[in-house]
Amino acid sequence: MPVTILAPKAVRVGYGANPDHSDSEDSGSDPEGDVSMGLKRAAAGRKAAASGGSGSKYEIVTPGEVITDDPQWMRGHGTYVAPATTSIISSVAGTVTRTNKLLSVRPLRARYTPEVGDLVVGRIVEVQAKRWRVDVGSTQLASLPLSAINLPGGILRKRTETDELQIRTFFAEGDLLVAEVQQLFADGGAVLHTRSLKYGKLRNGVFVAVSGMGGGGGVVRSRRQVWTLESANGGGPVDIVLGVNGYVWISKHVETPEGLVDKTSGITNIEESVSATMYSSQNDRIGPETMREIGRIRGVVTALVDNGLRVDEDMVMRGYHEAVEMAMTSGEGPEDIYLGGERGEQLAAALTAV
Amino acid sequence: MASTQHVLLSPAELAYLHAALSLTPPIRPDGRAPAQFRPLVAETGILPGTNGSARICFADGTEAIVGVKAEVERTRLVDGATAGTEWKEGGSARGEGEDDDGGDKAGDSDWVELTVEIPGYRDDDAGTAFLAAMLSEALLADGAFAKRLWINRRFHWKLYLDVLLISPPLSYPLPLLSLTTHLALLATRLPRLKSEGDEDPFFDDDWAAARHLFPRSSSSTTKESARPPVTLLVMAVGNNIIFDPAKEELAVADVALAVSVAEDTTAAATTAATMDLDDAAAPAARSLRLLSIRTIDPPSRLTPPGVPNAANSAYGATTAQKQPEARTAEAEAVEGVWRAPRGGAKPLVMAALVQKVLEKGGVADEILDALDAVDLG
Repeated sequence: MPVTILAPKAVRVGYGANPDHSDSEDSGSDPEGDVSMGLKRAAAGRKAAASGGSGSKYEIVTPGEVITDDPQWMRGHGTYVAPATTSIISSVAGTVTRTNKLLSVRPLRARYTPEVGDLVVGRIVEVQAKRWRVDVGSTQLASLPLSAINLPGGILRKRTETDELQIRTFFAEGDLLVAEVQQLFADGGAVLHTRSLKYGKLRNGVFVAVSGMGGGGGVVRSRRQVWTLESANGGGPVDIVLGVNGYVWISKHVETPEGLVDKTSGITNIEESVSATMYSSQNDRIGPETMREIGRIRGVVTALVDNGLRVDEDMVMRGYHEAVEMAMTSGEGPEDIYLGGERGEQLAAALTAV
Repeated sequence: MASTQHVLLSPAELAYLHAALSLTPPIRPDGRAPAQFRPLVAETGILPGTNGSARICFADGTEAIVGVKAEVERTRLVDGATAGTEWKEGGSARGEGEDDDGGDKAGDSDWVELTVEIPGYRDDDAGTAFLAAMLSEALLADGAFAKRLWINRRFHWKLYLDVLLISPPLSYPLPLLSLTTHLALLATRLPRLKSEGDEDPFFDDDWAAARHLFPRSSSSTTKESARPPVTLLVMAVGNNIIFDPAKEELAVADVALAVSVAEDTTAAATTAATMDLDDAAAPAARSLRLLSIRTIDPPSRLTPPGVPNAANSAYGATTAQKQPEARTAEAEAVEGVWRAPRGGAKPLVMAALVQKVLEKGGVADEILDALDAVDLG
């Protein structure tokens, strides 16, 4: 079956009161009555929220909408107070959350806000004289100075003009890298570094962006963002990097060349042998089994995001094992890695049921 | 012509994608089968002010809306001489009766106006204009569509199709726009004509009596194709043929084609001639007709090549080399290193692509079936 065409889902009642959705029979008798009722309900809900009562479950506010006039509330994230008034106004579209006397709005969709120490996956979009500009899914491009990368061969020295001229041999436009946020500017711009063997250029795998997820779904900060998974069906070990910014990298796990490690002794030499492939853009040989399992993991990640679930190590591992079992029992056998549409929903249902 | 937007992928990613898609069977990044489309959500009749409308939405959030509006327009008489002959023909037509709709119903491609709007792109952007040209070309290719807009000798319907992509173009939007246009045209209804002959047209104001532009019941008498065309995006990597490519798949395509097909109902006679072939396989199968083929310039040709380890000066291998990129571009292919495809498409691959689309019971066939099943409201 090459295509599945579904009917649209019914509008969730009480989530977003859609005034022009008057053709649904269950919503009300006449359209005008429905609109006014919806507004009144929203107003009532807001009043209930402001006065501390627990009225409605969801309340969506839009930018510029007054949440409350009551001066007893404190403004939190996603809100502002207009000058010379006491009214708290939403600055984003999202749901209102109250913590004691603090009113904040959780955005429905948000860009990544960098924090020092975050592990991020980024893509080079611009090469400048002494630094790269990196897309990390934030409001601004992050910058990666030439002085914040490891030079090949593990040499520690001052960056010279030769390095500046050769800047594209390290990272060129389009290259993917994993890095850490080292420093933040006052305007929210981030400075990255890759001065560790864990960081650097990415190869041997696929990229998937799940950025922009506000409350609920998407990648969340957790204990481990990078781990190796022993894949099923003879796929071998697979590395997964969940960037805090919502960029995910799934690749074949490459062992450090052990022969070299044995021969040499001393920490600098290990670094040297590892960094031999640090700026390579040549993929290793990857078997079809591994590619299939990498594709399956990518499917799990997108299915999690499509169904509004969080993406972290635990969920990806459980989702992957579930997906392997689903493929075993399905008609096409373990070679079937498709997890879109209904299958993704099945997977999400199986994960949330436990 | 008209390349898609430039995609920024690293050489390592491109090499991986190309390797995965070249396997038999190919492993697509989202796990689909080679001929499988992304799941769609479709509905019709969403815009009350139009004659027909449709909305299609992919799971990744790309969404398109098409509205069809019709208005009555006076047919331009070409010049004195032809006008005279037309009147003569008109006399004969009146004598023969109304149901003779053979030669005198002539359509004009001016009767259909199609505009495409893509957020973030100008109206006169080359890509947008090319998309609009491709979609209208498919509609007007056989001339049968414009004929449907004929009211009488002096008047015709002028059809305005507004194709809107309402999300940023995450992938090349051609298949999405084409499918949405197809659905909108299927849902399009025109008021029933009450007047007769060449008098000023007068319509039934009961909308319930309005007729579909493409009547659903396959009446055997109509000679025109009973369905609007669909344009499918097909690409090839190595010897694999892949339908409905996503953005990153298109970025490694060797060749990409936009193939427009329509159901061929005139084939009733021709199938009789080729009965010995078709009869055993599928007597009821529709036969598909190729309307147009356009090559899409895949963005893969603009991608930067990868640098093989042996030539990479990043770890001091060949520091003497002045311009590593320039040299490696001419070097031999190394496994695991991306090289942009060069040269034209192979004729055999092109033929296989078209063959795959037109196959009986193939992808286009099933797409049309699936679109048929959508509730037209």
